[in-house]
Amino acid sequence: MDDYTVGILTNIGLISFIALSAYLLIIAGEMSFGQQGFFGVGAYTAGVATAMYGIPLPVAAVLAMGAGATAAFLVGLPTLRLRGLYFAMATLAAAEMFRIVFELLHFQRDIDGEPVGPDGTQGFRGIRWVFENGVEPEGFLALVWGMLAAVIVLFLLVERSRLGATLRMLGEDPELARLLGIHVERFKLGVAAVAGALAALGGALYAHHNTYIEPRNFDIMLGVHSLAYALIGGLGTVFGPLLGVLVDIGVLEGSRVFQGYRMIVFGGLVALLLILRPRGLLDERTVHWLKRRFA
Amino acid sequence: MAKAAFCLVLALVSLPAFAQRLQGELDCKPTRTDFIYNCTVKLARNGEPLSGAQITVGADMPSMPMAHNVKPVKAKAGKAPGEYEATLDLEMLGEWAVKLRLAAPVKDQLILLYEFDEQGARQVRRGDRPPRK
Repeated sequence: MDDYTVGILTNIGLISFIALSAYLLIIAGEMSFGQQGFFGVGAYTAGVATAMYGIPLPVAAVLAMGAGATAAFLVGLPTLRLRGLYFAMATLAAAEMFRIVFELLHFQRDIDGEPVGPDGTQGFRGIRWVFENGVEPEGFLALVWGMLAAVIVLFLLVERSRLGATLRMLGEDPELARLLGIHVERFKLGVAAVAGALAALGGALYAHHNTYIEPRNFDIMLGVHSLAYALIGGLGTVFGPLLGVLVDIGVLEGSRVFQGYRMIVFGGLVALLLILRPRGLLDERTVHWLKRRFA
Repeated sequence: MAKAAFCLVLALVSLPAFAQRLQGELDCKPTRTDFIYNCTVKLARNGEPLSGAQITVGADMPSMPMAHNVKPVKAKAGKAPGEYEATLDLEMLGEWAVKLRLAAPVKDQLILLYEFDEQGARQVRRGDRPPRK
């Protein structure tokens, strides 16, 4: 594989984490515009852990997931009392707060005569664990897709379990779920924390792939894309968000047919799909049909 | 796949290979074709020009991470020591994080932030402090 293909496949894998994070919240009935904030928390946490304290990436990724889950839990405590558009606005505000905190964050250590660490708007350079440990691009690609495969398997197991049914019921009819004895608020808070951890894992891997992060990486554009991927790909299965990412980055970007106009095409595609297939290409009905036909 | 798995295992058990920092600088001139720039990369290590390096030049937009995959190009040796030349085919004007990926003599990646416009490219400076290279 050439560098370009490896790069595109790595990006598809990385962005899939945040797309799955948005998907998880959507099927639980909440639309978050703020998952990029937790992606950023994961990126900064893992970057600080490996570049400043020499912690191995696997441990740093776990720390990042913990930080992402904690941040999402704390954001969820007040915001999950809100519904619909108000929740979406509150999550966007929270993500912007995280971005501003990253802009104000100056926390550096002197390593080999160089200051390393977050330097506000100047960004955070020197997240070199991957290079210092001789990980080739193909190796990092395998790491990203290996982690993604593990996450997808977990999703599939949950979707086929009682927990998955509860999750879908929560999204479809929270009042019915409450009447059946489910503590809706507590359940949604748990889902928000897991979604935060998932986004943070993607952020941790992204920081080490890029070696440089800055607050602007985590602005609303990333959040909108993550939601769009879930909505384009479909909400019927965990493969929906992956299909969304594949359509945008794999087909539109990979083919370079539309070049600078890609964002216009992407926006048009989202609008068209929301009209024609409001729950995406792989919606529940299509997934059910596919299962009956091929299972 | 086996090679990738081997690299992964190696990565988890190996120690840091090097710690010398690289510095890079970019000088880009627009061509007659929109968004295509001829760039000269200046590389130094410990203040000395770094010759004989194998560099691949790519780019990403900081405001849209992972959304723009500029095809990486291999840089050729330039006229002076530590200089390399590459042609960048960007998708649009604006701020780009130019990625210099080194395969030799050291494996590393440098990110240089540049604003590309009709005149060429200039280094991005934010806030009240000059950025480190």
